[in-house]
Amino acid sequence: MIDNGFEPKILAFCCNWCSYAGADLAGVSRLQMPPNLRVIRVMCSGRVSVEWVIKAFSSGMDGVMVLGCHIGDCHYIDGNHRTKKRFVLLGKLLGALGIEPDRLCLDWVSASEGQKFQDVVTKFTSRVKELGPNPIVAA
Amino acid sequence: MIDKVRQIISDLLDRGEADAVLALANEHGNVQPYLYKKGDSLDNLVLWPKYSMGPIVQSIQNADPALKLAVVVRGCDDRALVELAKRNQISLFNVRIIGLACTEAEAKECACAHPYPRSIDVGDKIDGIVSSDELAEVSGKDYGGRLQFWKDAFARCIKCYGCRNGCPLCICEDCVLEDDAWVKAGEIPPPFPIFHLIRAYHLSDKCVECGECQSSCPMDIPLTSLYAMIREEFSGLFDYMPGADEDRKSPLVTSLEEEPIREGTA
Repeated sequence: MIDNGFEPKILAFCCNWCSYAGADLAGVSRLQMPPNLRVIRVMCSGRVSVEWVIKAFSSGMDGVMVLGCHIGDCHYIDGNHRTKKRFVLLGKLLGALGIEPDRLCLDWVSASEGQKFQDVVTKFTSRVKELGPNPIVAA
Repeated sequence: MIDKVRQIISDLLDRGEADAVLALANEHGNVQPYLYKKGDSLDNLVLWPKYSMGPIVQSIQNADPALKLAVVVRGCDDRALVELAKRNQISLFNVRIIGLACTEAEAKECACAHPYPRSIDVGDKIDGIVSSDELAEVSGKDYGGRLQFWKDAFARCIKCYGCRNGCPLCICEDCVLEDDAWVKAGEIPPPFPIFHLIRAYHLSDKCVECGECQSSCPMDIPLTSLYAMIREEFSGLFDYMPGADEDRKSPLVTSLEEEPIREGTA
């Protein structure tokens, strides 16, 4: 874990059926994670609209995570297919506007993957620390 | 070229294949859309400047859905009609399309990459302009440079909504850009990048490169360069070009089995 004194603000959208339960499991298993995360529970990662993520960046979040069920395991059959298309595209659009696409993380964490939740969050937090503060709000 | 268009229009009207033909007319020095009926003089017909025909077709069909309409279109109009039809805004069932290929000078003026409709009735197909200087300038920058470029450009925005109002594909009745949750009323310029990035995302699967956004913009924001980059990213991911195929749905509303993301791009 790099330490450059910068503590990023990170927002995570977790789906009710997999990732939120995965986060719970990571919690009850007492896995250590960086405390930079704010979690918002949604019923499906497909419910996360692009406007929310853009607003999060506009309001000064340094990184945004969208976590859902693995492809094929979605509680709503193909909700996460749309999530994937949407946020892969949004990453490219952020790049076109000059915002590092690495500030947006899209990953799949199932309810039994507390360990993976810890890994994903730790890696993403340290990547955002490297990138530094959100360039949109920085003067 | 224009005589051939006149010929096609009068043939269609005389044979009764169309009740009316939508084209452009020069009325007292002003070019505007005009609905030619049988017996009308075609002397005031003009082809240039281009004019976005999609919304006009939509209002004609709203008023008279049974009208057998023919419409003179350029490449961008043709693609706009296809996208509007896909989204159930118009019906192409009763519409006869008279395809007009742009000349080299016209394509250059629009910096258009696809200056021809799906089927060409008049004119010759020419190659499009691959990249404008401005586009090359901004896409050659690194992230920091691009961000500065767009920050400077969008700082000029006076939030007149011209880009949205001029766009033939901005069809939502309730626009999120007027919703206080995303864009607060009374803030000028609108906070970067929320206004333009939401619009860019919403247009990513429908932009037909007509350039109306930029020509509507009173502050000279290089929107066509932004949308050119977005179209390139979109076709890179999904191999999809808006307006090219009436039967192919937008990849954003289908599952990964129906429209996968191209390998190596995600």
